[in-house]
Order: sequence, then C-alpha cells, then structure tokens
Amino acid sequence: MKVALFIPCYVDQFYPNVGINTLQLLEKLGVEVAYPTQQTCCGQPMANSGCEQDSKEVYHHFVDTFADYDYIVTPSGSCTYHVRKHYDIIDQTPAVQKVRKGVYELVDFLENILKVEEIPVDFPYKVGLHLSCHGQRGLRQANASEIIGDKGGQILTLLRKLRGIEITQLERNDECCGFGGSFCITEEAVSARMGQDRIADHVRNGTKVLTGGDMSCLMHLEGIVKRQQLPMKVMHIAEILNGSQP
Amino acid sequence: MNHPALAEKFAKDFNRTTWHDETLWFVRQKRDRAIYPIPEFQELRLLASQIKDHTLSNLDNYLLQFEENAIKNGVKVHWAADGEEHNRIVLDIIRNASSIKGKTGPIKMVKSKSMLTEECHLNPFLQKNGVEVVDTDLGERIVQFRNEPPSHIVMPAIHLKKEDVGETFHEHLGTPKGEKDPQALTEAARQHLRQKFVEADVALTGVNFAVAETGSFVVCTNEGNADLGVNLANVHIACMGMEKLIPKVEHLSVFIRLLARSATGQPVTTYTSHFTKPADGKEMHIVIVDNGRTQQLGRSDFRNSLKCIRCGACMNTCPVYRRSGGHSYDFTVPGPIGAILSPNIDLHKYSSLPFASTLCGSCSDVCPVKIDIHVQLYKWRQVVSKENELPAAKKWGMKGLAKMLAMPKVYDLGGKVARSALRILPHGMTHAQSMNPWAKARELPDAPKQSFKEWYSKNKKS
Amino acid sequence: MTSREKILASVKANKPSFLELPVISAFEGDGSIERFKTVLAGIGGHAIEIDSKTDCQGVIDTHYSDLKNVASKLVKASVEIDINTSKEVLEQVDLAVIDGIIGVAENGAIWIPEVNMINRALPFITQHLVLVLDKTYIVANMHEAYKKLDTIGNYGAFIAGPSKTADIEQSLVIGAHGARSMMVILY
Repeated sequence: MKVALFIPCYVDQFYPNVGINTLQLLEKLGVEVAYPTQQTCCGQPMANSGCEQDSKEVYHHFVDTFADYDYIVTPSGSCTYHVRKHYDIIDQTPAVQKVRKGVYELVDFLENILKVEEIPVDFPYKVGLHLSCHGQRGLRQANASEIIGDKGGQILTLLRKLRGIEITQLERNDECCGFGGSFCITEEAVSARMGQDRIADHVRNGTKVLTGGDMSCLMHLEGIVKRQQLPMKVMHIAEILNGSQP
Repeated sequence: MNHPALAEKFAKDFNRTTWHDETLWFVRQKRDRAIYPIPEFQELRLLASQIKDHTLSNLDNYLLQFEENAIKNGVKVHWAADGEEHNRIVLDIIRNASSIKGKTGPIKMVKSKSMLTEECHLNPFLQKNGVEVVDTDLGERIVQFRNEPPSHIVMPAIHLKKEDVGETFHEHLGTPKGEKDPQALTEAARQHLRQKFVEADVALTGVNFAVAETGSFVVCTNEGNADLGVNLANVHIACMGMEKLIPKVEHLSVFIRLLARSATGQPVTTYTSHFTKPADGKEMHIVIVDNGRTQQLGRSDFRNSLKCIRCGACMNTCPVYRRSGGHSYDFTVPGPIGAILSPNIDLHKYSSLPFASTLCGSCSDVCPVKIDIHVQLYKWRQVVSKENELPAAKKWGMKGLAKMLAMPKVYDLGGKVARSALRILPHGMTHAQSMNPWAKARELPDAPKQSFKEWYSKNKKS
Repeated sequence: MTSREKILASVKANKPSFLELPVISAFEGDGSIERFKTVLAGIGGHAIEIDSKTDCQGVIDTHYSDLKNVASKLVKASVEIDINTSKEVLEQVDLAVIDGIIGVAENGAIWIPEVNMINRALPFITQHLVLVLDKTYIVANMHEAYKKLDTIGNYGAFIAGPSKTADIEQSLVIGAHGARSMMVILY
C-alpha cells in the first residue's frame, strides 16, 4: 500500500502543525507515508470562483504528483471532495481516475481503510465538533439533519473513543460556518455573521475546544474566536487524535 | 445593486437578522419534525424527482394531452411565450368575459398566490388597464399594501415583524394604532378580504400541479383564499408555468405528501383543491406560460431546476438566505433556487447570485424533488466566468493564482514572501478593513516562520 | 407561428432523451381512527365519534346551538342552499354540515367531492365547518386515498382542519379566510 500525504496549500502555509500531526499520526499507526514536495493545491479556490478552466493545469499537476500512490491522504474533506467530484472536466486517463479514487480525507482513511478501533489518548475537555459541509454532505462522512435525525458521523465516532472527552450538544448540529472559499471575502457580511452564529452556539453550550476535519472552516471560526477574545481553543482533528493537548 | 451589497445592508441590523434567521430556522425544524417519522420520505423524494424527470423528457406530449383533456372539460387553454403575452392574454380574458362585458365601474379581480404572475409583473399591468387587483393571501396582501415584492415564495411577508404589519394595517385598514396581535390583524384582514371576495368579477389562481391524463389542476392553500375567490367569481383564470405538469392523478399522492411537509412542516395544506370543469354558467381559463422555461429545458446542466415545486424549503434551510433576506436576491424567486433560475433569465443582472452561497449543499438535501441546487450554483459560476461576467479583479486574480499553483517553486516562494510580510507588517496594516474584508470581523491566522513543506525538508527528508 | 406552436416546437427541440416513469410502490401505514384523530387535532381540527349517522343532529344541537344559519343536507338546515344561491346569502352561513367520503390518517384530510358541497363555495365561505365521515373510509395515506377515489370529478378538495395562516411572524392563527373551526363527526 503506497500512501502519500497531501497537505493543502493554506494548511502548508498557515497551519504546519496540522500537517505535522497528520504525518505523525499516520506513522504511529504504522503507515509508511511519502510526501511529494512538488505538491501545491487541489485547484478548488479558482474553481469555486467560476474559473475551473484556469484550474485545469493545477489539476494536472496534482495528478502528476500523486499518480503513483494507492492512497492520497489529506486532512481536508473539502479538498478530497473537490478532487473526487470536480476533476471530471479533464481527460479521464487511468492516472486521473486512480487519483480521484485514491484521495481520502484523513478520518475516512483511518476508519475505513486502516480500520482504527482504538485511540489511546486522554482528552478531558468539552469538545465542540464543527462538521465541514464538504465532508458531511459532500463525502457523506456524517448524517445530514435534512435527511435523518440521528447525528452520527465518522469524526464523532473517533472523538468518542478519546478518554475523558465530553461532546458539546449544539442547537444546530450541521449549519455551515460561512467560510465558503472566496465567499468569505465577496460576501463578507453574511460570511462573518454565519461564523459568529456558529461560535455563539458553541459558547452557549460550553465548548472549550473546537475541532473539525477542515482547517478552512476552522481558520474562519478561529479568526472570530480571536477577534472576540473568547476562551476557546481551535484544533484540527488530526492534532487531537495525535495526542496534542490544547 | 448586487447580492453582497444588499446582503450587507440587511445584515447591518444585527438583532433583526437574528430574528429573521431564527424565524426561518423554526420553519426548517418544523419541516424536520414532519419528515423524520415517515420512513419512505427519501423514497418519495426520489420518486418525485423521477416523475418530474420523466415528464420533462416527454413534456411536449404531456402538454398536448393536458390541453386536449382540458378543452374537453370545457376549459379554455391559452399559450403565452413570455410574460408580456401572458399579461395581455389575462387582460383579454377579463375584457371578453360575458359576465364582465359592459360592466360599468372598475373590474375587480381577486388573486391567490401565484409566483408566475409576480414573475410576469401582472399586477401593475392590469392596474394600468383599469382592473382592481387584490392579492388575497394574507402575506401577499401585506406586501401589496406596502408596495413591496414578496421576500419568500411561501411566506411572502416573512421579512416583516408584527409591528410593521400593525402599522401597515393601521394605515390601510384602520386597525387601532399600535395593534400588533397577529390574531387581531388576521381578523381585520379577514373582514376586509371577505368583502373583496364577494365583490370580485374574476378570480386568478396559480397552479401547483397540472394533471395531463384528466386536464385537471390542483391548487394548495392554507387560508382557503383560492377556493373562496374562484367559487364566488364568474371567471376563473389559472396561470401555470409549463413545468407544472405531471402525468397522472396517482402521481399527485407523491407530490402532495412532499409539498406541505417540505414547505411548512404541515402534513398537508388545509385545502388541496382539484379543478377539472367549470361550474355551470361560469368560465375557466388556463394560461400555459413559457417565459424562458423552454430555454432552461435546453440547458442540460440546469434543466432539472424545472422540477421545482415551489415549496421554499431551500430558502428556509439556506444559511445565507436566512441572514440576507429575500429582497437581497432582487429576483421573483429568491434563495438558492432563485439563484439557479435567475441567470437563465438575465445572466448579467443576476451574475452575483450563483456566488451568494457557500455551496454547503443543504438546499440539495432538503429539496423534495432532489434538484442538485448547489451543483448547479457551481456550474452557473463557471458560466458567469465564461461569459465574462466576473469582476475583473477576480478574473485576473484567479488566473494568476492558477499559474502560481501549477508551479511548485513559485508557490513555495510566494508563500514564504506572503508569510514574512504578514509577520513583519504591523497588525493595523494587515488588518486594515478597507483593504482586507476578512479583517472586519476576523483575525488572520498567525503566519508561521516555516511552512509544513519547509519543516518536512529540514526534519524528515533523508 | 402561434405561441402555442412555437412553445411546443421549442420543447420538442430542447427536451432531453426519454426517461422512464417510475413505479410507485405500495406504501403502507397506520390507517387507524386513532391516528386520524391525533393528526387532525394537531392541525387544529377536532373529531367526535358517534354510533350511528342519525346521531349527527344531536352533536350539532349540543355543539352549535348558538349558530343561526345552518346549511346542510344531513341535518336540520335553516338556510336553503343550492348551486344558484347568491353570494349575499352564502356569506351569511354560520355552519355547514357536509358529507366527506374519504379520510386520510397521515394528514387528517377529508375528500369532499363537488356534489357533497351543495354549492362550490359553501365549505369555504361558512364560518364553521362540520364534516361527517364513515370511519371505515379512513385510509393510511394519500396513495390509498387517490386509489380509493374512482374519479376526482369536476371539482373536489381535500380539506384538513380549519382555515389557517402563519403569515405574520410565523404565528399560527386559525380562521384566515375560510372556516374558523372544523369538526369531524365519525360514525
């Protein structure tokens, strides 16, 4: 099993610790992980802005970078979704098909490929889970409240294995945070308001550590937490699972 | 004005935005409670979607079948290529009706809810031609008094508070100043509108579903205003978009089970009325309208937006709609579904609407006919870009970004420079709100000295 | 070319290739009187069970003695209504007592065909509405309801509870334009 690590561009630049924790976690679990250093980005920022034609060369670069691997693991549901869903506009060569099939969001990989049963980590905090829409509704990693009342999902399943953890019961379990890529700039007013409302839900219900599978949502939410100087720590799920403490 | 500007204006009133969001979320929760106990709900969505897909794939034949049966039933069928023709047809029907011809004094029309007539701007046209038009749905009457468009397709006055309605009714209906009790205000509207129902010469309704095999159509209301209007007036005009067709009566069961539950969380609307033949001595007309629909039918990426049954669930669930209000879309049908219908009508005018979304996908999951709304939003964005309707800064910015991201060395260097700049420059400059919209309500992430890649190269690469 | 021809030609040219019509499977459900009554209560209606249809008059006498203008073919009427009755007379009706023919347990709706309405406007213009229903004619869901109807006729309606609106701030108000109350007598 040849496994490559894909660290999304903004994680690479702004959250190297998330990358480090992802890598260490996978290595702890006995996975030999390669990190092709020519990697850049999945191409989503341009495509979501309407410029998927411009993104094509980034798509090709991504495929060239990762075509040799069986699995491409990344701490981002959003990038995974983009490669799987939207790489349909380039020629579907065997390499493209292989990469689209092989790309996995980290937690999905842990649960469904590595079949991780135990997470030997103490985490005695009240943790609020922010579901990223691309992970939840895009990759179906968690139930959607539009469809079913049960709130189960992959990240929740893993979090529950941590010792001492308490999970926040939110009033709105799966409302979007309002990041939305360039939406966070072009629709600043609504984007900020959505984020503020998500954070307020966590504050009201006692979240001390806010986590999730997508650093982009968390970057936006952390920006609000910091601006409002709230006593809440934002951590990517990879950091928690790897044993980092707040 | 584009969506971001109108949305910003709306969101400026923090408490009112909270109220608007919570009011609509309440409806979304009612909808959840109504659908969770039904084990076959997801199967019904699939069936509804497939029935509509089938109907669209055979629409010309179903239109002919519907017309033939309706004519047999004694109904007059009219065809309108666009809004203008639709309005002219309605006026001609009114002027030529035997029960109206020669009437002295103004011709009076009562209308139940029809988004189609909003789309065609029928009211101002009829008023200009001497017809008194009264919208009888309570929400529509409120916005008609206020000379505003509806802000929601199911709850037209959802942007207003009871105090606003109280003031409007004080001005137009003479309710006591300061009266804001919904019960009392509704009673005042009841008394006022009962008079209008009795006086009306002609009643106009929309159509929720049209059944090809019988030539019938179904109208759903909670207030009873459609039936009251139609059954008291001598002339009934029903206006329908051509996509309202379904093949058979048995298919109604699927849609009726989905519609009210999705719209308001009710198990069914109070009145689900099936019109097939006019009452003795009365006239019934159906106006079938295209107005851009055949064009949308020809767009393979977007045609399934024509499956929409106008339940409004995508609005109630949309976190953007709830915080920007229906008027921020500046289109007859607001919200996610409006954002995929409007570019078909005028790409230039509505080019900001496909971007008024985070693509969270909640709209697609809530849609009772499984329209892939968020996928179409993404696809409309590509069309907007292709047709050169993107703002220039965005267009060239994205081209530059793509170039950089295709060249690892340029990307690595660019990232390093940007991070250094963020570390060196004073907070006041990196967070200047005029330059950086991000910083209006958010801090930027701390820029680390090392990227992951740099760390990896130093620590891991052998 | 007329608009009709233009539209039909354009539909023909633009429609996608043919897709099959799905088969609606037989959805079963709880068609009990209890469920019907519970759902009806949830939408603002109210049901009473009696032993025999002839007891209707007693129910009306007990519950609606204060109402003056009663229109009905089932119980003692104080106003005569037919298809030609004027709006002015219809407007004065306080209570209409009408035969329903199918009840739907999943949503509390009752089918009223035109012929039972006496006048098409009556069930809607009356201040209060009573629908009388044979309880063996309650079905579980809308699929069964449409199956049981031989025809939807010239005009007919499912009526579920009293007229209502929530157009002002989502506050539910019973009695918008139509009936202010709705009772179902099950026999």
